[in-house]
Amino acid sequence: MASEVRERSLVAQTFVASLPVLTGYSTMGFASGVLLALNGGVEFSALWAGLTSALFISGPLQFLLVDWVKNGTAYVDVAILIICLNVRYSLYGLSLLDRFKAASLPVRLYLIGVVTDETYALQMSCPYPPGQKGTLYCLLLGAFDHAYWILGVVAGAAIGSALPFEAKGIDFAMTSLFIVILVDQVRERANRAPALIGFLAATVAALGMYFLFGSSKMLIPAMMLIVGGLLVCRRWLDRPSESQAGSAGEGASK
Amino acid sequence: MSEKVVYLLGLLVVGGVISYLLRALPFMLFGSGRKPPAVIGYIGRVLAPAIIAMLVVYCFVGYVKDGCLASGLHGGAEIIAALVTVGLHLWRRNPLLSIGVATAVYMFLVR
Repeated sequence: MASEVRERSLVAQTFVASLPVLTGYSTMGFASGVLLALNGGVEFSALWAGLTSALFISGPLQFLLVDWVKNGTAYVDVAILIICLNVRYSLYGLSLLDRFKAASLPVRLYLIGVVTDETYALQMSCPYPPGQKGTLYCLLLGAFDHAYWILGVVAGAAIGSALPFEAKGIDFAMTSLFIVILVDQVRERANRAPALIGFLAATVAALGMYFLFGSSKMLIPAMMLIVGGLLVCRRWLDRPSESQAGSAGEGASK
Repeated sequence: MSEKVVYLLGLLVVGGVISYLLRALPFMLFGSGRKPPAVIGYIGRVLAPAIIAMLVVYCFVGYVKDGCLASGLHGGAEIIAALVTVGLHLWRRNPLLSIGVATAVYMFLVR
């Protein structure tokens, strides 16, 4: 059947498009899985790795999870951190509204749930207009990327829990991951001032909490300072072309 | 059930629900074509770099707390490994290489 051949070539096409994500997600997921097995101190870590990676779908969260499990971090602190880290996904959704419109409800619910930086970027460059083919393309991409991530994390946890030795210092992978993300972000000029605000706010919060309360809990006050600082600096940092409706035409070129 | 399993189950619910809601929010609020307030767009664009910078500081605060940075013998391990990460990533732009080599260097230094 001609349509079957075309469908198969669509699968092949999306698979090829997703290959860069395969290498990135599977290895990064693998590292976080190993870390969970070695440092999480929980039984059946491969099972937990599978459940958390399937639902959270976030690299930073998968690494932070190890700390949370180890320390028993309060759910409120976890929730606020996830919101601050992932609020950008809400923005991605805004530009995907039209693209997902043609999808049936179950497919749309799934597509919404599996948005990540990489999947979003690939879906936005989908070669087909929104419609049956475009939806299938986005769905396959989302499912491929989702699967790579889960498989990587589970494999890491399974192999990590079989390791006979304690890999001291492997937790530096998380620090290193955040540094890598930061370096990539500050390549873009628009991200430099926000990153500086984050750095200063975190330093002030850490020192303040230590010297005022003798506490090392810094994330919540740091995030409050960051949001406050970003709002105060908005008049300098917000892109003028997008804040005013009058110049909507010029904004399109950016 | 052990305490840790209960905690993890709760974490799964909290993290799963919030992760999904964040992704679904625009579809729930603006599905009918309403425009979001500009300040939301602004915060969404600038928050991620600020939070990632905060997490880098957070990791180093952890090392100071554990006494790693302060103790003389491998006091510089975190800083050396961080510099390796930055240097490699500026040079090769390959996350796996940067993270892999830096973590290996760190593991070697703290042995």
